[in-house]
Amino acid sequence: MSAEYAWVIPGSAVIAFCLTSLFGKALPFKGIFLPIIAALLGFILFCFIFIDFMLADVSVTTASIDWMVVGDWSLTWGFSVDEISIVMLGLVTFISLVVQVYSIGYMSGDPRLSWYFAVHALFAGAMLALVLADNLLFLYFCWELVGLGSYLLIGFWFEKKAASEAAKKAFITTRLGDVGLLIGIILLFKATGTFHIPSIIHAAQNGAISESTLMWSSIMIFLGAMGKSAQFPFHVWLPDAMEGPTPVSALIHAATMVVAGVYLIARMLPLLEIVPGFLTIVALVGLFTFLFAGIIALVMTDIKKVLAYSTISHLGLMILTLGAGGLAAAMFHLVVHGFSKALLFLGAGSVMHGMNGETDCWKMGGLRRKMSVTSVTFLIGCLSLAGIIPLSGFFSKDEMLIAINDGLGPIFLFATLAGVFFSSLYMIRLYCLIFMGRSRSDVANNSHESTPVMIFPLLVLSLFGLLLGLLALPLPLGNFEGFGNFIDSHHHFHISPWITPLSLGVALAGLIIGFMCYGYSKIPHELVAMKFGYLYTLVLSKFYIDEFYQWIIDKMVLSTARFVSIFDRVVVNDTGVDGIGVSVVLSPFKARLTQTGKLYNYGTAMGVGILFMAVMWILVSS
Amino acid sequence: MSVFFFAIAAFIVIAGGIGVVAARNIVYAALSLLAVMVGTAGIFLIGLAEFLALVQLLIYGGAVVIVILFALMLTRIQDFEFLSANKHWPLALIVSISFLVLFLISILVNKRTITEMSGVDISELGLTLFADWAIPFELASLVLLIALIGAVVVVRRDNEENR
Amino acid sequence: MELIYFQLLAAILFCIGIYGVLARKSAVLILMSIELMLNAVNINLIGYAAFSSLGAAHKNLGQVLVIFIITIAAAELALAMAIILRLYRNKNNVNVDELDILKG
Repeated sequence: MSAEYAWVIPGSAVIAFCLTSLFGKALPFKGIFLPIIAALLGFILFCFIFIDFMLADVSVTTASIDWMVVGDWSLTWGFSVDEISIVMLGLVTFISLVVQVYSIGYMSGDPRLSWYFAVHALFAGAMLALVLADNLLFLYFCWELVGLGSYLLIGFWFEKKAASEAAKKAFITTRLGDVGLLIGIILLFKATGTFHIPSIIHAAQNGAISESTLMWSSIMIFLGAMGKSAQFPFHVWLPDAMEGPTPVSALIHAATMVVAGVYLIARMLPLLEIVPGFLTIVALVGLFTFLFAGIIALVMTDIKKVLAYSTISHLGLMILTLGAGGLAAAMFHLVVHGFSKALLFLGAGSVMHGMNGETDCWKMGGLRRKMSVTSVTFLIGCLSLAGIIPLSGFFSKDEMLIAINDGLGPIFLFATLAGVFFSSLYMIRLYCLIFMGRSRSDVANNSHESTPVMIFPLLVLSLFGLLLGLLALPLPLGNFEGFGNFIDSHHHFHISPWITPLSLGVALAGLIIGFMCYGYSKIPHELVAMKFGYLYTLVLSKFYIDEFYQWIIDKMVLSTARFVSIFDRVVVNDTGVDGIGVSVVLSPFKARLTQTGKLYNYGTAMGVGILFMAVMWILVSS
Repeated sequence: MSVFFFAIAAFIVIAGGIGVVAARNIVYAALSLLAVMVGTAGIFLIGLAEFLALVQLLIYGGAVVIVILFALMLTRIQDFEFLSANKHWPLALIVSISFLVLFLISILVNKRTITEMSGVDISELGLTLFADWAIPFELASLVLLIALIGAVVVVRRDNEENR
Repeated sequence: MELIYFQLLAAILFCIGIYGVLARKSAVLILMSIELMLNAVNINLIGYAAFSSLGAAHKNLGQVLVIFIITIAAAELALAMAIILRLYRNKNNVNVDELDILKG
């Protein structure tokens, strides 16, 4: 059973990290072939595991190593392969492989190339272990490692102050969520005595955990997911993370790390379902993030920022779907969005390469003629995320809307439809600004298509963007009856008579308005800005959230830190530690004053001493 | 009856004591000391210790006071005004009153109930002194000798030593 | 006539002596106050000797101790005088306020 060798996938990535970081500079090609071999190995192994899984009709296989045994409790590194982890495994191995191939071209000539690929391997290893982990402690361990990899990669060009600041911001913001996750894990451990996920879910379903513990641990775990998946109000790190290299954004901030939060919720969904009303809160957070980020994405002018806010928005959509109970639909969109967003980011990287690193959309334009392959693949990615038939995005969006309607009712459905409109609109706006019309600057005039090693991944991903929709249908592969049934056996993907046309109509409306506004300039796009001037500035400055956070940090965190540092210096150090030494040194100078040399002083002291001794003697002997 | 005499002697003693510590003139202080010694001898008599009363008068009244008067003469203390109490006299008063309180408490708590006075036979006293306490007696005389020699040594002038 | 009279008298005299030792400026006067204290002790001992109900050996002890105390008092007086005379020779007065060479 090849699933027992699933641990080789993350293991080989970690070994590649060690070898590349230690010996990379000395090897030929700076050692970058090692992580790529590891990624390829991972993908091939995934294919074997997948085929085995489909044919064997066994739902879960596990393997574990005892790491630490304390009394009758042991800490294990366990790997378990079930439907959700197979899906994530495939996504992560494939996108990681594709992005690494792309990076050969994008990052060529960078002085720290071997370190870049080494951290890529580390990140891939950590993420793969995270999706294979069967106990919460191991999952948390990999969670933190993934955050570390993200920090190292965002701040890869640490010579730029903005990059190191962004890396710091990402790490600290997700850290806030991670604290919640740890508290949740510990709460569950206290209640059940184990970290093993199936055991915990089993215990929760049998009512072995008290309601308040369940509620608090659910809230805490959701906080962890919110941090990693950039939900409001933890979303502030993702746009700044665009300071990192673009392939990094494609891998980490589109397809893999940010979906770790979604994965966590999907894993713990049986637990979260038990708490009454909790899933509604999850859905509300997701909905708010979906609309909030969508509106901001409409006014951003930097390519990567638009894509970043779009990612935040779609993550919100996935969480919203999970909150509605649509596990299969959310997982499907996770895969579709992963491929499409990675395609879009890699395409943006190609555009930036052609534009000499320029990212402002208003300086581009008309690149359709200069970079034809990039432009076509980018269009496929945009249409897929906008939800136009017959691309994969249409299928996933449709299923999500059906699930939301089933789970939460029509109000949520119509709110989501508004978000779908925004999503379609900003995607098309982005495409039009970059590729259509006339070029708006000299750099755009002189741009060129990128090298084949960068084009090839774009082509592969766009192929998936076209064809992934087929997974929703039953295919002749073992007993595969469609993706929905694969994940959740009660669920079949289907088409609803009124939701599907409605969603398609909304998406097409966004498409048409977008083309008319930005592509063919039939509607002037400054219209909205002029009519709703104040609202426009508000959205453009991202609702001042970043400034608000900075104010909180300045006023509360830094002043508390100052107070604590003064307290530590004055009370603990000067008085407590130094004080003892100083008092010993100074005490003789004070004690010396009792030796006056005068007779009556000595006599009085003697008298008082004798008095005291007599009193003591009387008291003791009585 | 003996209480009456005791009271007189006690009065002399205490008056003399206060005179020693409070006198303005140094010779008055010395004479008050003499009065204290005499009064103490009277108390000894009332306590049926006749031999000791004699010893007291001889040694204290005869020798000690004279020595003190000699010291007063030799140090020409009457030429200088030091007889006021020094500036720490309230503290001294407090200490002495606390001692007094301590003594009063310990006396009154352990009150003895014997009221029969009985004196000591002189021959018995002699026997005790020379038989049971012979060694301390010899040592005391040795101490006296050494003290006197030491006093002479301390007082010698330097030019006499260098001769 | 009870023992307590002797004890009270001794206590009062002793305290007067202590006051004198601590509150007087002249060394000779301090010496005189020390003599007062010794006398107080003697009175106390005589009282114990008189009222004792123990055997002869212990009864005599009170008076024997008084003899010893008188002896030692005389010795100490001699030495103290010697020191005072020496002091007078060096500083031309016997004011104890000025004796603070051992000041720390």
